[in-house]
Amino acid sequence: MSTVSVSSVRKNFGRVEAVKDVSFEVFPGEIFGLLGPNGAGKTTTIRMMLDIFEPDAGHIAVFDGRIDEAKKQRIGYMPEERGLYKDLQLEQTLVFLGALKGLEENEAKSRLEKWLKRLDLFDHRQKKIQELSKGMQQKAQLIATLLHEPDLIVVDEPFSGLDPVNTRLVKDIIEEQRQAGKTIIMSTHQMYQVEALCNRIVLINNGRTVLYGEVSQIKRDFSGNAIVLEGKGDFANIPGVLEARTQNGAWHLALNGGVNPQDVFRHLAQQEQLVIERFEIAEPSLDDIFVSVVQSGKAAEEAQHA
Amino acid sequence: MRNYWLLARHEYRKLVGKRSFLVGTLGFPLILMVVMAASIFISIRGDQTRPMGVVDHAGVINTAVAPQADGGNELLPLRPFPNETEARQALTDQEIQVFFVIPADYRRSLQIDAYYWQDTPGDSVFSDFNEYLRINLAQDFPANIRPRLIDGPDLIVRAADGSREFNGRNVFSFFIPFIAAFFFIFVVMSSSGYLLQVVTDEKENRTVEIMMTTVSPGQLIGGKALGLLAVSLTQVLIWVFTGIVAIVIGAAFIDVLRFISVPWSLLLVVVLFFIPAYAFIAGIMTAIGSATTELTQAQQIAGILNLLFLLPFFFAALFFANPNSPILLFLTFFPTSSFVTVLMRWGMSTVPLWQVALSWLILVSSALLSVWVAARIFHTGMLRYGQSLSLKEALTAVRTRS
Repeated sequence: MSTVSVSSVRKNFGRVEAVKDVSFEVFPGEIFGLLGPNGAGKTTTIRMMLDIFEPDAGHIAVFDGRIDEAKKQRIGYMPEERGLYKDLQLEQTLVFLGALKGLEENEAKSRLEKWLKRLDLFDHRQKKIQELSKGMQQKAQLIATLLHEPDLIVVDEPFSGLDPVNTRLVKDIIEEQRQAGKTIIMSTHQMYQVEALCNRIVLINNGRTVLYGEVSQIKRDFSGNAIVLEGKGDFANIPGVLEARTQNGAWHLALNGGVNPQDVFRHLAQQEQLVIERFEIAEPSLDDIFVSVVQSGKAAEEAQHA
Repeated sequence: MRNYWLLARHEYRKLVGKRSFLVGTLGFPLILMVVMAASIFISIRGDQTRPMGVVDHAGVINTAVAPQADGGNELLPLRPFPNETEARQALTDQEIQVFFVIPADYRRSLQIDAYYWQDTPGDSVFSDFNEYLRINLAQDFPANIRPRLIDGPDLIVRAADGSREFNGRNVFSFFIPFIAAFFFIFVVMSSSGYLLQVVTDEKENRTVEIMMTTVSPGQLIGGKALGLLAVSLTQVLIWVFTGIVAIVIGAAFIDVLRFISVPWSLLLVVVLFFIPAYAFIAGIMTAIGSATTELTQAQQIAGILNLLFLLPFFFAALFFANPNSPILLFLTFFPTSSFVTVLMRWGMSTVPLWQVALSWLILVSSALLSVWVAARIFHTGMLRYGQSLSLKEALTAVRTRS
């Protein structure tokens, strides 16, 4: 049984259609990636999921039904627009938030001590939030999200503001939560983190679900759409190529939908000024897929308006 | 219920622990203590044993006719002198602390001169001489009239239906409704001012989204409002307690303080109006805090609205001159001014029951509407980081559920 089920939801703010048609399901023990470009409708979808907004149409079920006060205590949410009470002490703030999530104060304090030690914040517990660095505040937010041991964890850009060491630490913690059977929904623009952590994803663009499924399957589905090239010459501006970029001396080409890599190879072979040393049909990164889908959507939209 | 308590306690501790609260709360009692001490000092200062002198050219004073000592306080002896020269010598020799000269035409002019050196005698000295003068002037009248003349009139004004009574000696009771109005409007406005601050803080701190997925908007605002109300009540209770202590101590030295009594009917009005008045203004402040982006902007709007709550004070003179005037009648029913207007009219007049009931019903309805509108604007406005809601957007938010 799914922990979260979002089915054909729609939400308008006045004349603005923030979410047009989004559907997905999230199951216990998985890390689910909620992806999309800025303004795609991710945050509105999360807010509808958590009962901050009511959808205009569609259906949302959390823990097999409508969200209520008791279910709220089983959810840990780290929003993108986040902060803590700046003029309060770290420990006082986190105990207060834990108590609001149903913990007794003593229990909250006891759990908090472990988290503070693990995230290297124990010596700063008496400091006011505003005296902490951005990275420390970020870790404090994570503690506020996890302190009450929620069954559903929703994290929006959990790695922003973290150095590589702390990014690794947060990744480990998220993975631990998954292993403990928790349901995790992660929204981020860091595609390599999604590839590393997520089992399944949904990609929202212009308020609609445009990709949904297992990461490995999606990558297989897009495998004909990416090419890795090495050689001499400029491989930009090749017909049928959506995006071309260089990385470590190799060209990574994302192809338009419906374009055959063989056609691209034939075209390149006919160009005398280009020397091909390596031509490989690559499994695309999620980053490539993201760009490909979003730009295709943009092109289709422009064509529709034209 | 637990969340209301947690939120209320959190806000209470946060504010009460601040230095500004301690300074603001303890500052008033300190000032009151200084004022009271100064009043008592003025009242009792000076020499309490050295006699007064009198040069009586009008033949008014017979020192054998001395007033009775009042409440264990011994009156200063009054020593007669045949002329100013001898009296001045006695003053120079410090045998007396002051002498009064009653001119020959006193019964027509009613003027008396007092002479003393650098140190002004205390109020009790003049009060004692006044006692001597009154009792001596009354000697010419029949014995049955004399006590009335000495004590003065004891005027009691009663409402025709017997519901209210005003004792002329009890001057302070006359002002109690005004003082109560001031205190309670202070509580309502300071609590709602705090609420405005915490709502904008919640928005500026970006904590609102976490809170909204933890508690309901009703719990969030309700809990905070209760905590802040408790903060203001703590402040006022400390002040009222200090005031009572000051009155009890002061009453031993200052006559007028002895006649203060508790106006129970006024307390009933306060209890009836206080909660809806607070809910009404709290709703308005929540809506303003939710619709704006920062505290200064919110305070500017709230400052203008606050004037509507202070309207009765602009018409303070009218409460004395004509407490049932059409303007005050309008303010009685207008929700922003009804609480204070009813309180102040209560002190000056008898407010018909139907007016109190109608005023209360309008206030309660306005409070419910205010809270409902605030909840809608809060839901939409609080998630608009860095953007204010326009009036049109606010109206749209009120019409539609987020």
